[in-house]
Amino acid sequence: MSKIEEALKRARSEKNLPVPQARRPETNGDGTGSSSAETDAETARGFDLILRNRLAGSVAKMRQGPLTDATALIERRIIVPDPRAEGAADAFREIRTKILRKAHGRNCVIMVTSVAPRAGTSFVSVNLGVAFALDAAKTALLVECNLRNAATARVVPTLADEQLLGLTDYLEQPDMDISGVIHPTGIERLRVIPAGQIREIPAEYFMSHRMRSLVDDIRGRYPDRFVILDSPPMTQAADAQTLAEMADYVVLVVPYGQVTNAQIDACLKAIDPKKLIGIVFNNEPRVEREVWRQIPREAVRLIRERAAYAWQRIVDSWTRLIGRLAH
Amino acid sequence: MRPLDPQAQVRLVLNEAFVHRKAVAIGGALLALGIVVAGLLVQQGYTASVTLLADERNIIRPLMEGMAVPTEVVDRVRLAREIIFGRRIMDQILEIGGWMKDNPSPEEQEKRIEAVQKRTKVSTVGRNLIKIEYKDVDPERAFRLADRMGALFIQESVITQADESRRAYEFIDKQVGEYHKKLRAAEEELRDFRSKHLGAGPAIEADVGARMAALETKIQESTQALQEAQIKKKSLQRQLSGEAEVATVLSREGQYRARIAELQGQLETLRLSYHETYPDIVRIKQQINDLKDSIAAEKTRRETAKASGHVTIDDSVLNNPMYQALRKDLSETEILIDTLRGRIAEAKRQIAATLERGQRQVGGEATLAELTRDYQVNRDLYQDLLKKREKARVSMNLDVEKQGLRFKVQEPATLPTQPGGIRFLHFLLAGLFLGVTVPLAAIYAKVTIDPRVRVGRAMGESDRVPILAVVPRYWTASELSMARAELARLGLIVAACGATIALLTVLRVLKVI
Repeated sequence: MSKIEEALKRARSEKNLPVPQARRPETNGDGTGSSSAETDAETARGFDLILRNRLAGSVAKMRQGPLTDATALIERRIIVPDPRAEGAADAFREIRTKILRKAHGRNCVIMVTSVAPRAGTSFVSVNLGVAFALDAAKTALLVECNLRNAATARVVPTLADEQLLGLTDYLEQPDMDISGVIHPTGIERLRVIPAGQIREIPAEYFMSHRMRSLVDDIRGRYPDRFVILDSPPMTQAADAQTLAEMADYVVLVVPYGQVTNAQIDACLKAIDPKKLIGIVFNNEPRVEREVWRQIPREAVRLIRERAAYAWQRIVDSWTRLIGRLAH
Repeated sequence: MRPLDPQAQVRLVLNEAFVHRKAVAIGGALLALGIVVAGLLVQQGYTASVTLLADERNIIRPLMEGMAVPTEVVDRVRLAREIIFGRRIMDQILEIGGWMKDNPSPEEQEKRIEAVQKRTKVSTVGRNLIKIEYKDVDPERAFRLADRMGALFIQESVITQADESRRAYEFIDKQVGEYHKKLRAAEEELRDFRSKHLGAGPAIEADVGARMAALETKIQESTQALQEAQIKKKSLQRQLSGEAEVATVLSREGQYRARIAELQGQLETLRLSYHETYPDIVRIKQQINDLKDSIAAEKTRRETAKASGHVTIDDSVLNNPMYQALRKDLSETEILIDTLRGRIAEAKRQIAATLERGQRQVGGEATLAELTRDYQVNRDLYQDLLKKREKARVSMNLDVEKQGLRFKVQEPATLPTQPGGIRFLHFLLAGLFLGVTVPLAAIYAKVTIDPRVRVGRAMGESDRVPILAVVPRYWTASELSMARAELARLGLIVAACGATIALLTVLRVLKVI
């Protein structure tokens, strides 16, 4: 708590800026542990990074922005080569390996979609991109295609500022250069095309020639670049179907305890079996030792804190009483 | 969907429980606490019991073996229940239990009796022990009522039993009287018949047979003898007639023929010398003719005599001994024949008489058999009933003297100190057990029933579509610390519940509450 408070204080005092009302990313949350304190802490940390990036100059023009440190990445649920993110990192490495095996090492366009909303598509997309980017010989480009619920921006550290131009801007303005919408992230070898400023666009945008040429362009520009399309859920919009036609491979995200077998089967039927590369079972709860560690200490701290608070209240009230009496 | 192995299931339940950790921890703790508190609030019932021994090994029993019929053990519980739940005892019980103080209406009384009956349990323990249990919220009253029920039951059972035995005796006695009358009637009839058919008896038939046989033999013998005698008579007659006549002829005719022969000789001699006209020859011839006439006359006389049957005994044959002997024999034989004839006739007459008597006897025989049968049946039944009556008399005396089935208080009622039934300890254990298991069971049920996919392996078409990876929940540092704080809080809540339960238990043990 003290650390969080410190961060908040620092954010407020040093930069003297209002705290933006950014929401905590919910792609991987089940609602537990959601409190204002945490949100504040996250926001503070993200804010810090954005400020640093701004100070460094024009982010869009930079080939590689300043790198975000591991702790901040973990806080944003981005895998890092660190023991703290071991389980998830291993899973994404596994997915990457399987995709590479399927694509015979060649770069490809991978669409990540899900069975239901809030399944963690953005979480999987971002981390799949990170997994590719972890390999020094490969780069990854994340394209945010879920316009209704553009979560990627909130996941990728650099994108917290929603003023960045993105996919919709590119599709709307025929004379815009593609480099204007590709932004660096705080992660090495990972770039992103955010959703963009305009949100109310119909599904027909994805059917447009410009969209198709965009995908071809970004795939063809670098042979070591893997393109990941963060797509809306299969059940929500027809967009997913349109995007699937453009993608080389489709990854279906199945969230833990949210969908039935029938729903999964329906989605699987809708996807071209040749493109369907597999299912990612996301957000499986595991009672990990990490969680249980230091609980007794935490309990003691909790009791002490409460006791101290209560004591403070008592002392305060007495002081007030005595002061009033003295007065 | 493939079934999961047990280990995976346990892991799944634990994971899911972790997801719902707040509900599991708080729900479990509250459930345990609630059950323990309920255990404190539940009214405890006190049970007092009295055990009665149905004493059947008393001194009288071996003596009465096979004679008296003591009440069966199997019936005892039924008997006991009937007696105890009877109005007589129940009224007293209401009085003792203090339920009659407010002068309840008959319906109210009935209700109260029913309530008492519900709380009373009569059962057998072992072969000949009867246990009467009574449950009440007031231990003192439970003791008092159980004790009184035992005593009243013993008292009542003696009366009931004596009454039953007496009634049984009376019934059998009445039956004995009736059969006695019947037997007397049968005897009377039999006697009448006997007096009417004197000498009647089962031996008659055989007797008649033997007698008939004897008479037949006699007739046969007599007939044979008669035939023999007749043959003898004929033979004698033949001899007598023949012999006698020949002898007579010889004497007279012989004399004539000898004279003729003599005269013939002389004639022959004279003829040699003389002519036929010689006087001597003529005289001799004359004489011969005369003699021949005499012979003829004799013959005629004999024929006549023969024809008339009158044997003229000639002077010359009067002294014939042979003839005399034959005559005697003949006469004797004739007498014998007459005798035999008379004997045969008599025997035949006797046979006819015997036959007639025998036929008369057979009709009476059937009637006699029937009468005798009646008499015997009546006599057997009567004797049996007499025996039974004696048995019943002994049984009745046994019960009257309180020597029959006797109940003794084997284990007197005691003042119950511990409440029976579900005790606080049970509630405590159940609370702790259910507090742990119910939330987990609920989670298990949810995981089993909920069709939503929770295990990567269990996905529908995962055979066709490979599972790329199972991504575990990604804990951020702040989430971890939040979770830890939450777990610590939950731990404190559970600990507080545990402490409350422990405190309640201690207070309960110390009888503070």
